[in-house]
Amino acid sequence: MNVVTRGIRNAFRNATRTISIVLILGLTIGLSLVMLIANQAVDSKIKQTMGSIGNTVNIRPVGFSGSNSVNNALTTEQLAKVQKLAHIKSLSQLLGSNAQTEGTSSSPQGGAQASGPAANNTAKTSLVSPFKLNCDKGKCSGGGIRLNTTGEAPKLPDNFSLPINFMGTNQPTNPSNFEASAFKIVNGKAIDGSKDINDAMISAEMAKKNRLGVGSTFTAFDQTLRVAAIFESNTQTANSSVVLSLPALQRLTEQPGVITNAIATVDSLDNLESATSAIKDSLGSAADVTSSLDQAKQAIEPLKSVRNISLYSLLGAVVAGGVIILLTMIMIVRERKREIGILKAIGFGNTRIIFQFMCEALTLTTLGAIIGLGIGIAAGNPVTSMLVSNGSAGGQGAPAGFAQSISGPAADALESIKATVGWEIILYGFGAALLIALIGSSLAASLIAKVRPSEVLRSE
Amino acid sequence: MLRVTNLKKIFSSGDTKVVATNDISLTIEEGQFISIVGQSGSGKSTLLSMLGALEKPTEGKIEIDGQDITKLRSHALTRHRSKKIGFIFQGFNLIPNLTALENVMLPMEPTDRPKKMRMQQARELLDQVGITGAKQRRKPGKLSGGEQQRVAIARALANRPKLILADEPTGNLDSKTSKMIFELLRGLSQSQGVTIIIVTHDLALARQTERVFRLQDGKLTEQ
Repeated sequence: MNVVTRGIRNAFRNATRTISIVLILGLTIGLSLVMLIANQAVDSKIKQTMGSIGNTVNIRPVGFSGSNSVNNALTTEQLAKVQKLAHIKSLSQLLGSNAQTEGTSSSPQGGAQASGPAANNTAKTSLVSPFKLNCDKGKCSGGGIRLNTTGEAPKLPDNFSLPINFMGTNQPTNPSNFEASAFKIVNGKAIDGSKDINDAMISAEMAKKNRLGVGSTFTAFDQTLRVAAIFESNTQTANSSVVLSLPALQRLTEQPGVITNAIATVDSLDNLESATSAIKDSLGSAADVTSSLDQAKQAIEPLKSVRNISLYSLLGAVVAGGVIILLTMIMIVRERKREIGILKAIGFGNTRIIFQFMCEALTLTTLGAIIGLGIGIAAGNPVTSMLVSNGSAGGQGAPAGFAQSISGPAADALESIKATVGWEIILYGFGAALLIALIGSSLAASLIAKVRPSEVLRSE
Repeated sequence: MLRVTNLKKIFSSGDTKVVATNDISLTIEEGQFISIVGQSGSGKSTLLSMLGALEKPTEGKIEIDGQDITKLRSHALTRHRSKKIGFIFQGFNLIPNLTALENVMLPMEPTDRPKKMRMQQARELLDQVGITGAKQRRKPGKLSGGEQQRVAIARALANRPKLILADEPTGNLDSKTSKMIFELLRGLSQSQGVTIIIVTHDLALARQTERVFRLQDGKLTEQ
């Protein structure tokens, strides 16, 4: 039998004590693992949320909602100034216009009002929208169009069809134009946003609906346009749009020099706030300038408090585990003082004896870690969800009983948190057990070193 | 083999100083079987602790085979105890969760002998002291007092020490068992040439050793 075996065997000398200590340690390590799992899940969500919230700034003429006509359009000169501002990586200039499928109508009967990038139109096109209008509780939407009603479901004409949004832009492949995170040309070649030619890009869904391919033609604004490329994206707005170059759409809609909105991409999220302020200063009262920063802050704030709570609880649980094993080892060392004296008398050095007690502590904590892992795996997800829901409901400064309302990406971030237990967590669990054993053995080691074997003889 | 010169041990407790052993000198030859008698508090255990390199004297020298052990550092003292000294205690002091065999193997562990060899030697030692067969696999709690002391003697012999220090080895045993243990120790001293120093209250037993020393008020005198 060697030191390690003896240390492991000693851990089971008193079955009742061993079971009690292992269970308490299991709960402590389990709690620390649950907190670690919650911390990692929340941390990962914060990073994901930060990454998914675009570092873009939307610039629109004052009062322009996308559905009304543009009387105070932005000018190229104004936007040229914006482009030169610090931290502006790129500036996508857009003109949105819509056209109705020939022989159809998009005007609902009754008091409903359509809004969205493609509402209200007189221009015609041969294209048919690949999407349908879906109504629920008096609100209808589809293909980037929204119908706001006064409560009753809108009555749609028999020949109703969603209008087609035509988007002219100097950056035809920029996903931010459609509030999308993905935009990929799957067939053909992307158009040049600066050339005034009748080439268009349509989505794969639009192409399928209208049986078009690269090189096919369709009509819009009384002109024939050629499909130069087919793309795929992850928003309905993008998939229901036809993308043209900015000068081409300005010519087709007879709106030379008109820009209905622009999207500035900032070099990093850290500079988003300062860049937004700079754009506001540059354009003054001529434009409404909004960024996604506020939403990002709203989403991250409750998650940050959950992350802090879980971090402090994790540290607390590890310290508690350390204290438990520390007190246990002190108790064991005091109880076996005579035995330590005997071992020293028969030629065991301090290092060997301390190592034996460390093996004993490690055995107890490893067993605790195994139980703790079970608790962590079982309780990781429910506790994370509970922490997140409590963290979001009891918002800072909110009076008792009043939940702070979070919506948009913030709500998405909070709702979709899912904790996972991987090898990393298991290794952390055993790492924590090792740390707790080391903390617990430290004072015991100094007590062992102080035991004088002569005292054992004297106390006979 | 063992030479003690002007050995003095003073314990300090606040302003009070207690002289446990005072100017002790003695020489013991290899293989001698001697006893030290004295009343409680006479300094017997302190003297034994110093001879066994468990405690350092305030003054004086302890030479074992010409080496002054009072000058050794802590690590060297541990090695010295492991190789040259065997202890036998009144209360046996066996490790309760180890078998008799494992208890005897214990002192051999720091010597880095292979496990197989340690086990073989421990078996031989237990056979030698009369613990045989299944009793070797019993834990101390399942052995009688005399058997436990036999295991303790086997443990003391584990590393073939030159000096065995026995503190009241028969103190917890009945007279019949005491006599058997005493005879066992004397036999070992004669057969293996081990120097044995026994501390005892039992004058009758002490008189059967080769030399008897009396410790009184810290002073050692040969009877």
